[in-house]
Amino acid sequence: MAFVRTRGLQGYITGDSPVPWLAPLVAMLVVFTIYPLFYNIWLSFHEYAPFKRRLVYVGTENWSTLVNDPRFWEALSVTFTYFFVLLAIQVVLGMIIALLLDSDEPGFGLLRGLLTLTLVIPPAITGMMFLLMEDPEFGVLTYLLEAMGILSGQDPILATSSTALAGVMLADIWQWTPFMVLIFLAGLRSLPQEPYEAAMLDGASAFQTFRRITLPMMSKVIAVAVLIRGIDLFRAFDYMFVMTSGGPGTSTYTLSLYAWQQTFSFIKWGYGATLSLVSLVLILVIANLFIWIAKVRW
Amino acid sequence: MIVESKYRRYSRMAAAWLITALFVFPLYYWGTTAFKEAKEIFSVPPTVWSFTPTLRNFEEVFGISFGFLRQQEVLPGGGNFYMAPRLWDSIVVAVFSTALAIAISTFAAYALSRMDFRGRHHFVAWVLSTRMMPPVAVAIPMFFIYKDIGLMDSYTGIILIHALMNLPLAVLLLKSFFDDIPREIDESAIVDGASRWKIFRRIILPMAKGGIAATAVLCFIFSWTEFIFVLTLTQTGLKTVPVVSSSFVTSTGTAWGNMAALGVAAMAPAFLFILLVQKQLVRGLTLGSLKQ
Repeated sequence: MAFVRTRGLQGYITGDSPVPWLAPLVAMLVVFTIYPLFYNIWLSFHEYAPFKRRLVYVGTENWSTLVNDPRFWEALSVTFTYFFVLLAIQVVLGMIIALLLDSDEPGFGLLRGLLTLTLVIPPAITGMMFLLMEDPEFGVLTYLLEAMGILSGQDPILATSSTALAGVMLADIWQWTPFMVLIFLAGLRSLPQEPYEAAMLDGASAFQTFRRITLPMMSKVIAVAVLIRGIDLFRAFDYMFVMTSGGPGTSTYTLSLYAWQQTFSFIKWGYGATLSLVSLVLILVIANLFIWIAKVRW
Repeated sequence: MIVESKYRRYSRMAAAWLITALFVFPLYYWGTTAFKEAKEIFSVPPTVWSFTPTLRNFEEVFGISFGFLRQQEVLPGGGNFYMAPRLWDSIVVAVFSTALAIAISTFAAYALSRMDFRGRHHFVAWVLSTRMMPPVAVAIPMFFIYKDIGLMDSYTGIILIHALMNLPLAVLLLKSFFDDIPREIDESAIVDGASRWKIFRRIILPMAKGGIAATAVLCFIFSWTEFIFVLTLTQTGLKTVPVVSSSFVTSTGTAWGNMAALGVAAMAPAFLFILLVQKQLVRGLTLGSLKQ
């Protein structure tokens, strides 16, 4: 189809070139992502000198500090633990709840609606909610766990290094499992019925049906949900910031939180920038690898 | 049609209600905390069902009297927990950043949906990859850049950065809504002599109204709930609701009731909005990749 071009300004706007249409977007992305990226790289070769009260060039010092910094490796391990454990829990739990809610019975629409509510709460406020519920003295969750004998009265959930990360994870599970449920549910609702009828005639068990029919047909939906949730899990910051500030020790330090605290609490501007760059590179590599392997397409 | 046995049907219903109740409980507990007096918040064992409701927490947070506190005791600007201006900050930032994100992304999404140019897939991949950037890797350099150019602590600065944060979502989501409009409609309009600009304004925008509204709602919610950019790029000038939670932690203990009251006020509009976009929610959450 040929396109009628007019002249002048009008022609510029209505011409076939996508440039004027994309220009504002590209301008924003360049100013707010490309420029900061280069600024960050520049920062990582500098450090704030408290006595000179300015940034000085330090070469690759920040990068060698990074390799020898045990707290960095601990933050990396917390980040990956948080990422893998929560991805697994949220996918499995999300699928179980989605299968449970996949029904046309009256009332199930309401249940789906109620589950969407957790998604719009500011994560910082969710953190405060769980901080209240996990309070060692008057927290309702502490009380329940103690009543059930799971928790002894002595160890506060968020101030004990063995349980603090689990306490933070609980907030994330509560807030984002419904994300998985809603996506999986939409996938399940759109599956064709015929394969299920055939499977039933063949006498397949519920588990076989799920394993051989549901899972393969849901693979694209699961891949997209895992990608988007995975990106956010890797960047986790809000919950630990308000609930534990990374402590006790380094038990809830994620890479994002460690980078932020180095920059703003300890005035290690260059080192914080270096840490944030590591987190950026890791997430871009992992996410793009996943997109490539799982063949997710937009 | 696959028919469930009566036993399975009832056990499914019971399990579904039970699980949903588990997810709703923290909301219920937080919501009721907003209406509790301090002594009931700190009681052991915790009060869950029976307590004497009070509006005192809301009065302190919003600086208005409902009769639980005398008006003289409610001091706008004077009380530590007076948060009405923070709600206003949140609204201004969310509204303007959403408007900016939508304005920029409708143009871009139209080009990505309707024009076949070289490198389009790479362009989409680039937009998507900006969604992957850890906020901290943007917030740290932006802190220094904003300091240099004087955008620290300003509405403009936060609005720009929130709009940026929502751009990948808005562009990809709007593209998916524009893709739903059959290309034949554009083609017949071109035959009738309409320009691209006219097609965009008179055909695409009106036909994608619902999609644009849903996208705007999601942008609003993500700005409303955003934490790390506001935390990093503001000092005293403005603060949105998620960031002020720490100001309820005082040397004499945490003002849980007041914080819960503010939390409830922050959640209410978001709950309302999300119910409006139920139909497009999954598409929105997956950046336009999955259609319901």
